[in-house]
Amino acid sequence: MKISVNWLKNYVNIDSQTDWKAFEELLTIRTAEVEEIIDLAGSFDQMVIGKIESISAHPDADKLRVTKTNVGSETLQIVCGASNIFEGQTVAVALSGSQVRWHGEGDLVELKPTKIRGVESNGMICAASEIGLKDEVDGILDLSHLNLKPGTPLAEALNKNDIIIDIENKTLTHRPDLWGHYGIAREIAAITDEKLKAPAFHTKYDQKLPIVIPVTVENPEACPRYLTLTIEGIEVGPSPDWLRTALENTGNRSINNIVDATNFVMLELGNPLHAFDTNKIAGGKIIVRQAKKAEKIETLDNESKELDPGMLIIADAEKPLAIAGIKGGLHSGISHETTSITLEAANFNPISTRKTSTKLGIRTEAVQRFEKDLDPLLAEQALDRLVKIILDLCPNARIVSRKQDINNFTYKPRKVKLDLSRTSQKIGVEITPKLAKELLEKLEFEVTLPKTKSSTTIEVAIPSFRATKDINHQDDLVEEIARLYGYEKIPATLPEVAIRPARPNTERREKHLIRDVFSLELGFKECVNYSFYSLKTLQKAGLNEADHLKIRNYLSEEQTHLRTSLIPNLLHSAHENLKHFDSFNLYEIGRSYRNIQQYFPLEEKHLAGLVLLPKKDRQEPFYLAKSALNLLLRRLQITSLQYQRASNPDQNPLAHPNKSAVWINPRTKQPLIELFSLHPAIAANFDLDKYQVACFNLHYTELHALPRAELRYRSIPRFPAIEFDISAIVDAEKEVAEFEKSIRKADQNLIHNVELFDFYQGSNIPEGKKSLAYRITLQAPDRTLTDADMKQIQEKILTNLQALGAEIRG
Amino acid sequence: MPEKLLKQALEAIQAASTITALKEVEVKYLGRSGQITELLKTLKDLSPEEKRSKGQEIQKLKNGFTEAYTTRERYLQKAEIDAKLQAEFFDITLNQINPQRSLESGTIHPLSRLQREVEQIFAEMGFEIADGKEVESEYYNFEALNIPSHHPARDMQDTFFLDHPTDTKHGHLLLRTHTSPGQIRMMEKHGAPLRIIIPGRVFRYEATDATHDSTFNQVEGLFIDQGIGLAHLKGIMNEFLQRFFGDKEIKVRFRPGYFPFVEPGIEMDMLWKKGNQSKWLEVMGAGMVHPNVLKAGGLDPEKYQGWAFGFGLTRMAMLKYGIDDIRLIHSNDLRFLNQF
Repeated sequence: MKISVNWLKNYVNIDSQTDWKAFEELLTIRTAEVEEIIDLAGSFDQMVIGKIESISAHPDADKLRVTKTNVGSETLQIVCGASNIFEGQTVAVALSGSQVRWHGEGDLVELKPTKIRGVESNGMICAASEIGLKDEVDGILDLSHLNLKPGTPLAEALNKNDIIIDIENKTLTHRPDLWGHYGIAREIAAITDEKLKAPAFHTKYDQKLPIVIPVTVENPEACPRYLTLTIEGIEVGPSPDWLRTALENTGNRSINNIVDATNFVMLELGNPLHAFDTNKIAGGKIIVRQAKKAEKIETLDNESKELDPGMLIIADAEKPLAIAGIKGGLHSGISHETTSITLEAANFNPISTRKTSTKLGIRTEAVQRFEKDLDPLLAEQALDRLVKIILDLCPNARIVSRKQDINNFTYKPRKVKLDLSRTSQKIGVEITPKLAKELLEKLEFEVTLPKTKSSTTIEVAIPSFRATKDINHQDDLVEEIARLYGYEKIPATLPEVAIRPARPNTERREKHLIRDVFSLELGFKECVNYSFYSLKTLQKAGLNEADHLKIRNYLSEEQTHLRTSLIPNLLHSAHENLKHFDSFNLYEIGRSYRNIQQYFPLEEKHLAGLVLLPKKDRQEPFYLAKSALNLLLRRLQITSLQYQRASNPDQNPLAHPNKSAVWINPRTKQPLIELFSLHPAIAANFDLDKYQVACFNLHYTELHALPRAELRYRSIPRFPAIEFDISAIVDAEKEVAEFEKSIRKADQNLIHNVELFDFYQGSNIPEGKKSLAYRITLQAPDRTLTDADMKQIQEKILTNLQALGAEIRG
Repeated sequence: MPEKLLKQALEAIQAASTITALKEVEVKYLGRSGQITELLKTLKDLSPEEKRSKGQEIQKLKNGFTEAYTTRERYLQKAEIDAKLQAEFFDITLNQINPQRSLESGTIHPLSRLQREVEQIFAEMGFEIADGKEVESEYYNFEALNIPSHHPARDMQDTFFLDHPTDTKHGHLLLRTHTSPGQIRMMEKHGAPLRIIIPGRVFRYEATDATHDSTFNQVEGLFIDQGIGLAHLKGIMNEFLQRFFGDKEIKVRFRPGYFPFVEPGIEMDMLWKKGNQSKWLEVMGAGMVHPNVLKAGGLDPEKYQGWAFGFGLTRMAMLKYGIDDIRLIHSNDLRFLNQF
């Protein structure tokens, strides 16, 4: 909201020498966030009124002319290209050093004396758009009608000697009283210790006059108050300078004196107002009622809107005249033929106004105010003020009706008891009754001090303009005291509370440990993806749409469904990175959301990841991911899971049916970790078919609940170990685990370690066979092993392997 | 007549157990002298009106056939691929022999790094680390936080709603717009006193650009006890920010702000220094927990009081690391991630 300092000065003293930076900060920390303070005159710096004394042709250009222009202190030679200049014309001259926009386009540039086609030119005769004003005519801005002396600063000539305070509307959400200049002036008076001066109101009404336009309010709960007054002898015309300037400097358009007056009072006191052309009110009456089905209105900006039943409107005998509290209708608006006006000053219910506004998609200054819950007493003050201004603007006008006041509210001054010891605790500063009274009374609260010295409870009468929504409870007064006392004066102290050990969050701690393992130890990159993906993505991944929650008002087709698995988005991330990288390991810790046909979905935490390698790489990503998961389980001290081939891989549409393994949770007998090569069809769907990809998903919530193995030290062997190698050719379609098991079976006590150090399949090895080479370490805790021990075990191993069909090579 | 034909055709499609068999079904119905094709041929002898109605009927039949055919074809293709894949031997018990250790190291996402730092600092000050739901109800996200329906404050938090049945108590299902619903859930679960932070992911219906995203991370804080006031909020926040930014000079500023779930409501700025320039930077919203919120959480506002705060972890990450485009946060571009 834009607030003009010149306007404010009508109600509160503001020093012209004010340090605006400090003022901005003060208003921000006491009342509401100031977005910006704008010096309107700033952009007219080094610009003055000039008078063209003579015009002569340019020796070297047909379209240019050379002027002698009087700018007060001197007469300058200025070259000008506009066709609408004439001798004796009053114009806006930008002097050298000013900032202008050439032809109204591009950035501001600093003006310097120059030569135009060989002729010296000192300054510029400006078009409106060149100095940031609206172009109303082609060519330069003609100011002859203003009758000003050459040399007058342009800012003064155009009434731009004003400072504008731009306040962030969001910070006024709870303050209906601050939606006008007078309310802001009240705050400024309070925080700068100045007096507040009220504007002038019309007070003399002849209540013996008839009611000209009778009003019926059919829905009193939606319209607690509706006042009207009819005035005749109106002359509609342009607004005087002061009114036009006030509106324009605060970013509003001037329309005509009557409409401007209603807008002025809204921007002054905060209550929206409306003026109807009395002669256009059919049947001579106003009904405040709900719209009928399919009823239409053409609004002031020529838009036709169909209304819903239930929307509150202002109607005459035939048709809607206005959408209550939102926008006026075109038909009954003020025109140049208008001679009689009926003024409306009303109070509308904030919720119904807001609902209607949202439904129709119309946001106006009026809605912004009514939805904040205005004080019904304000409606009458606004009318009195409006009448005063209109009678001043139209000296021949006369009031022809009595003040009609349909009110359906009861105003009871509200009193709130405020416990100051509680207040002091909440703020962290001692607030005495005297101090509370001093602070609150600056904002027109009335404070009754406690009768006894020992009591710390004061009674506060709330002014009506703060009583609608803002101040209901004593805590609302705590805020008033705290901000007026000054938030910056509250000391920073640490609480003195009993030591209460925080409940540990082991899950969170362990998640960070997992990051250390995956990122720092295993070289994985941590990703963070959105919680959503598209219908297309979930279909590409072969997932079932019915398991998903769908966003009703999604923003983009890419973000329509909540993920049930982290892997599709990781596949997408993998694909995106292929432009710059050809192998990487990714993981993500995040949530899945599964629609389980209850109100709340099943929200589960997962760890998912992938290992991606080019096809030509000899390593198998499945095995790399498997090692990573095994290391993680070791770091988390989890030993209870059972690793096995996935028994029904078709349950996982992403998985290669054969290259798929699981770690089973012994308690639930369900897979807790799934590890698989990406199904070639899915890989193709994600454009990853030139790569080998292994994926894994770990159900973290479940994993965290597993028991942990204790870490126990095993003494370091004191006696030397013996190592020997065995190499064998075996059936290609037998799992290596089988061979390792048979090796270990040879001696459960002395075989300390079995390591497969070579694996080969291909030329030199018969079809259907593979070559394995094991290094076996023997170790006894209590003695040095002999060759005889080794021979015996070696023999046994060979026998065991041969039993599995192995051909021993050495 | 067409319905019967369609029924027969669909049965034939389902009965085909190989692609070849399925192709035969297609020939039988849509081939040059297939049954549907024949039916189409009869159209030319009909009057224009009949042609239109009959034509539509046959087209519907043809569409039904094609749809069922495509579905079955996809199923059989997948089954054929799967059968081939199944026949390959793959040893899940093997490990990678001599894995090449990559010299390039892994990275922890900047959000995770900062979240851990925030959690550590608050844990050092005796705060518990809690968790909330990301898919929340209208009740927890708004009503319980003193934001009734049609309250203008709901505009401040543009919300993603889910296509899901509503509930009498909970209203619509939505994606939480802030971590504040966690306040109520924690009060309900643990009562008072309470000293917690709730870091988490939140969602806003907001078009994405360099400074806005539909998803970002917040940290909620809540301190409820007896005799807790704004001076303590200032004390704890000075301490937190000084530790977080590693700068003893950091100061906070309070100014009035409006959040329906606190009273007084405060916007907190931080004095941010860069070179010899310094300016106040908006870092969080805070305030004394509103009595209505305490009541909604089952606490007695006469006995307990305290404050809450909420700040954007994503924003902090951008500030701390100088990230100038929020879209990088969820880009998972390794050129970005490798820097952390």
